[in-house]
Amino acid sequence: MKLKLLLSLILIVFGFEVWPQETFTPNDVQDLRERAHAFTNATIIVDYQTKIDSATLIIKDGKVVQVGANIPIPPGFFSVDLMGKYIYPSLIDLHTSYGLPQVEKPQGGGFGGVEQMLTKTKGSFNANEAIKSHYKAGNEFVANDKSADELRKIGFGAVLTFREDGIARGNSAFVTLGSNSNEVVLTENAAAHYSLNKGTSMQHYPVSIMGFISLLRQTYLDAAWYSQFNPRPFKDQSLETWIDSQNLPQIFDAGDWMNVLRADKVGDEFGVQYIIKSAGDSYKRIKEVKATGASLVVPVAFPDAYEVDDPIEAQRVSLEDMKHWELASTNLGTLEAAGINFAITTAGLNKKTQFIENVRMAIGNGLSETAALKALTETPARLVRMNDQVGSLKKGMIANFIITSGPLFDKKTIIHENWIQGNPFQFKALDLSDYAGTYDLVIDGKTYKMEVTGEPGSQKAKVVVNDSTAIDINGKLDPNLISLSFPEEKKSKENIRLSGWTTDTGWKGTGQLVDGSWINWVANKTGDLKEDTKEKDSNEEDNNKRLGEVIFPFVAYGSKEIPQQETILIRNATVWTNEAEGTLEGTDVLLKDGKIALIGKSLSDPSATIVDGTGKHLTSGIIDEHTHIALSGRVNEAATNSSMVRIGDQVNSEDINIYRSLAGGVTAAQLLHGSANPVGGQSALIKLRWGMAPEELKIKGADNYIKFALGENVKRSIDPNSIRYPQTRMGVEQVFMDGFTNAVEYGKEWDAYNSLPKKSNITTTKPRRDLVDETMLEIINKQRYITCHSYVQSEINMLIKVADNFGFNVNTFTHILEGYKVADKMKAHGVGASTFSDWWNYKWEVRYAIPYNATIMHNEGVVTAINSDDANSGRRLNQEAAKSIKYGGMSEEDAWKMVSLNPAKLLHLDDRMGSIKVGKDADLVLWTNHPLSVYANVEKTIVDGAVYFDVEKDEQARTALQAERARLIQKMKGVKKKGGTTQKGGSSVQLQLHCEDGQADYSFDMLNE
Amino acid sequence: MKKIAIALVLCMVVASTTMAQVPLPVNAQDGPIMLVGGVAHLGNGQVIQNSAIGFDKGIITIVADANNSELSLDGYEVIKIDGKHVYPGFILPNSQVGLTEVSSIRAMSDFNEHGELNPNVRSIISYNTDSEFIPTLRFNGILLAESTPIGGRISGTSSVMEMEGWNWEDAAHTVDMGIHLNWPVKMVSMLDVTTSTLKLEPNEDYDEQTTELDRHFKDAVAYGNAPSKVINLKLDAMQGIFEGSQTLFLHTSSAMEIVESVRFAQSYSVKKIVLIAGSNALFVKDFLKDNEIGIIIPPTHRLPETPDADVYGPYKLPGQLVKAGLIVSLSHSGMLGHSRNLPFFAGTAASYGLDKEEALKMITSNTAKLLGIDKRVGTLETGKDATLFVSEGDALDFRTNILNYAFISGKQITLNNKQQELFERYSRKYGHID
Repeated sequence: MKLKLLLSLILIVFGFEVWPQETFTPNDVQDLRERAHAFTNATIIVDYQTKIDSATLIIKDGKVVQVGANIPIPPGFFSVDLMGKYIYPSLIDLHTSYGLPQVEKPQGGGFGGVEQMLTKTKGSFNANEAIKSHYKAGNEFVANDKSADELRKIGFGAVLTFREDGIARGNSAFVTLGSNSNEVVLTENAAAHYSLNKGTSMQHYPVSIMGFISLLRQTYLDAAWYSQFNPRPFKDQSLETWIDSQNLPQIFDAGDWMNVLRADKVGDEFGVQYIIKSAGDSYKRIKEVKATGASLVVPVAFPDAYEVDDPIEAQRVSLEDMKHWELASTNLGTLEAAGINFAITTAGLNKKTQFIENVRMAIGNGLSETAALKALTETPARLVRMNDQVGSLKKGMIANFIITSGPLFDKKTIIHENWIQGNPFQFKALDLSDYAGTYDLVIDGKTYKMEVTGEPGSQKAKVVVNDSTAIDINGKLDPNLISLSFPEEKKSKENIRLSGWTTDTGWKGTGQLVDGSWINWVANKTGDLKEDTKEKDSNEEDNNKRLGEVIFPFVAYGSKEIPQQETILIRNATVWTNEAEGTLEGTDVLLKDGKIALIGKSLSDPSATIVDGTGKHLTSGIIDEHTHIALSGRVNEAATNSSMVRIGDQVNSEDINIYRSLAGGVTAAQLLHGSANPVGGQSALIKLRWGMAPEELKIKGADNYIKFALGENVKRSIDPNSIRYPQTRMGVEQVFMDGFTNAVEYGKEWDAYNSLPKKSNITTTKPRRDLVDETMLEIINKQRYITCHSYVQSEINMLIKVADNFGFNVNTFTHILEGYKVADKMKAHGVGASTFSDWWNYKWEVRYAIPYNATIMHNEGVVTAINSDDANSGRRLNQEAAKSIKYGGMSEEDAWKMVSLNPAKLLHLDDRMGSIKVGKDADLVLWTNHPLSVYANVEKTIVDGAVYFDVEKDEQARTALQAERARLIQKMKGVKKKGGTTQKGGSSVQLQLHCEDGQADYSFDMLNE
Repeated sequence: MKKIAIALVLCMVVASTTMAQVPLPVNAQDGPIMLVGGVAHLGNGQVIQNSAIGFDKGIITIVADANNSELSLDGYEVIKIDGKHVYPGFILPNSQVGLTEVSSIRAMSDFNEHGELNPNVRSIISYNTDSEFIPTLRFNGILLAESTPIGGRISGTSSVMEMEGWNWEDAAHTVDMGIHLNWPVKMVSMLDVTTSTLKLEPNEDYDEQTTELDRHFKDAVAYGNAPSKVINLKLDAMQGIFEGSQTLFLHTSSAMEIVESVRFAQSYSVKKIVLIAGSNALFVKDFLKDNEIGIIIPPTHRLPETPDADVYGPYKLPGQLVKAGLIVSLSHSGMLGHSRNLPFFAGTAASYGLDKEEALKMITSNTAKLLGIDKRVGTLETGKDATLFVSEGDALDFRTNILNYAFISGKQITLNNKQQELFERYSRKYGHID
């Protein structure tokens, strides 16, 4: 170990040159130098696609003077012969915080406690603390040799540096990795940065992906409005900088591929094409990522293998993580093949020294060397418009280059020197001597067999006792003087110490034995090392080369091919039509082109796949009016009125609960915002098209919905310290009155503007678009429908009155556990109900909840549905519906409608879903038994005429899953065997977003529901 | 508005003044009763199609085939239940019933005492016979429940309660029958708030936590052996599990923890060990079989533990464990209001690889065995408590779990409660019934 430490000291930087600029008064005599160097006989890579052999590079004053073959060296230049060496333009990283102060997360701010309602940033800045667009990295930047050196060593010469804090992060500076803060900043405002991470802001809004997106959208709108005024109506430095920075490259730190798509969508709305920093998993959905048209900044931080030695413990690691471990290094190759423009970053690497090795891994997995080099030089330079200064070595460019021992991506290549703005940083001597070989080490007449191994520059010596025993020699093999020590016996602590110098055949010198006596010694080379001829295990090699396939979705039970629409004839089943015909025995149903084509007896279609329904029950698919599956991140936004947030912005197509719900007969669902605030967010209506991308899950042409909530959750009863308005049901009403009153005024303002004559329309200031008011106005205008979380009768009554006041109807009361007390009022108002079957007494406001609620509301003529609210009951909704037969004696057909036709009605989808009727969507479930029986199992779930769940295929999928896991586990074990790094622990799992579970989740600050 | 005739098949006698109260406890059985003509599910796997079940003074006196010519009905009040089904009262283990009401309100919960080692705290002391959950449980056939403290390393001592009684002494079925121990977890879930994900990380305190337990058990054993001693309540409370008068319930999560906790308990010669665990028990089912450890599992109505797991894993687990030769009992976890669905957890198990009568055992006889109360309850057998009920049909299915009569130790209890009363009140208000 000591040897290693000593050797690493060789790597110290000697290019510690600081030169004075014009305005600098030295504490010395004037000492201006031209720094004129010529490098000859090198293979020079001028840019990623131009290589010149035996070429010369001439630099002066930190710039490239000339480059090419056969160039005469003018006088006044110090010439260095680089025969056999390579020169590359230095590499460029677009994702760093180099030279900026560390961002420190404020303490506290966990669950509970007093909310921070307003920004804590002092001064004339944006009202939301996460908008830090006023920040300019150039103002705080300080060159830092220690952190620069980590990047210099691995070949980087310039970086983009920004502060990783906020949704809008302000401007980055583009700097070289030189030492002098005054010289290295090439551009102070290089790019504007954005993210989906609020960073240090503890302000309560936003907390969710949809909130981050809404904040960005509103800020774009605010900036557009603000920029109309001269002078400005008020001072907002954040908006000012935002406006000024729009012409810079716009870089979005997005993350996984779904966030890449989300970020791009924000850009599309405002005419911005972001450069997007991805998480290196774009290969999972390359088609969709390609369609964004964005250039990407891509990390090469590949995950470590997991500890999988113990078969039981290995269960903790998901197939998703195992597959990603295997395929992460194919990401860059996939991007290249797809024709996506990308830059490579070191971001995310625990050890920067791993960088080149990981790029080499990517090259081994499909990335071309040319593309790799381009992604490290030309592309990053061009993306931030610095390609006239860095990224290649053309005449006039900044002299940022590295000298390597061979082609950059070759396994044995080392970086000797990294020149930045014409100043050298040396890491490995250019003339490294290679001492590898076998030696006779003769000390005081006694001969030892010595071997020197390793790569030049980091070679080690050892005394070979016999085939299996060797004693390491401590010390360094410097070109001139050397100093060695080793114990005579393997375990002895007393060392023979030798001091010496090189000779033509090895070394000689003087030294001291253990007893202190002085001796002479000599080491003469006797031969070369024997080649390591160990036979490689070819089976293992094959296993390592084989790569798994990309599956959709990229989790367990995903598949290579997304299920396709088929013509299907289901024969002789008991068909629950939900129509006037009722339940038909021994009936056939033909599905064609995603629709129900025919219902009848003895149907036939030669092209159809026949499914025998004998003894089975066929129903339309279950529709879950209220769920939170298939969502990324948190389902609650925190603002009292967050009508502007859109659940559709965070649909997660990779959630295993989609598949589980299909296995329970669910085909469509409303994904709702949580119930943490009176006005929640806009819903997404999806079909459970397992395998498709998020946007493809959404039901096209569906009406718009929004979640409202009342009662304990919105007044934050769980948190005694909460100060957020409202704290009472009285206040809740006022939130609605306020929201709708504002919306009416907002509508008037826009109506007035839009009715202006065309000319004055241009000259008059446009009103500010407010996403909250806009959404509230949609409700009044019947362009958006409310699903309202509610429990007690008083609040139900209240919202009906508010709606009456503003001339619209509440569409659905959800949960509505005291609906039975005001069912007549609900009927009169025309609102539907979507309730729990038998939940009760998990909080104060539900102590009068009764399992007869659905029956009473139904009997009163209210369109009533049973919803899940969580992934667990969501996959047994048929059972939840059946409970109304037990509690209140509802008829079987009416009970079944509560999870099929009635939710379709509440979601305004009953023209195409909810019953088995010719022309409706082919969304069907085949059950082994009466669908309301506890013994009913799902056999097939069909969506749009494609079989998305099949109990037999499920069994096969599980077998295949075990085989794939087994293969990956063997491969991971191989990594450990070879001494690779591994990680303990297990995969992350999504917190199950169910809501009111009395004991388990009540402490979770944001209730979902 | 059209009037809808609603068949209130339930006992219609409800005093409207009881609104905010739980139903009135009833007096002891005052004469022999015989239920004749029902399909009797004995709870031990057997079924008598046309049965005669007689009981007197709270004890079952006759379990017979009604066709048997030697059967005498003399002295019995005969209740004809043709076509209906008779079951032993269902038993809900590992429950907080009686210890909490509205769990979101701190003042309403009495199940989690301060501190780590609490073998001396006894759930029966907190048990509230006026809990509104109780009538809703028995409405679905759950007539007995283990009232169980939670939290800490050793949560405390549990008791089996009858779902009927004026006070906890009155309702007690078997007092202080079990001690509940939460074995330390090897992996802890860390919440990442920004992504709403849980990340598993090694529990760095695992060794320290097991050592602490070890010390406690050593001290308890030494205390038990000591010829004279100053009373120590915590160590005193441990003696029952060494003597065999109490069962040690081991709450575990991973397969490794299951093995380690069982080995630990065995090393201290704990006589009766019952495991409380989920799907991970499958990995070590042979270990459990070899060591004759019974298991109480969470409800079938739950999600699989991992994304890769069998999508129907929780439904299939009971069948898989039974197949492995284990004694399996079903319990409930999570929102207490849902524990009334215990019969349907068994129904789902029957739908995924188990015979219906086998599934029934998991909420009757098996549970009784694991709670150590099988001499008195869990099956319809003579000499056992007359804790049983009559249902319209299959009590494991939603549509037919409709109770006509229920008896706890022979007392015919009131089935309706506040919920049925509200149903009636509002159905009347809207004119759905006259």
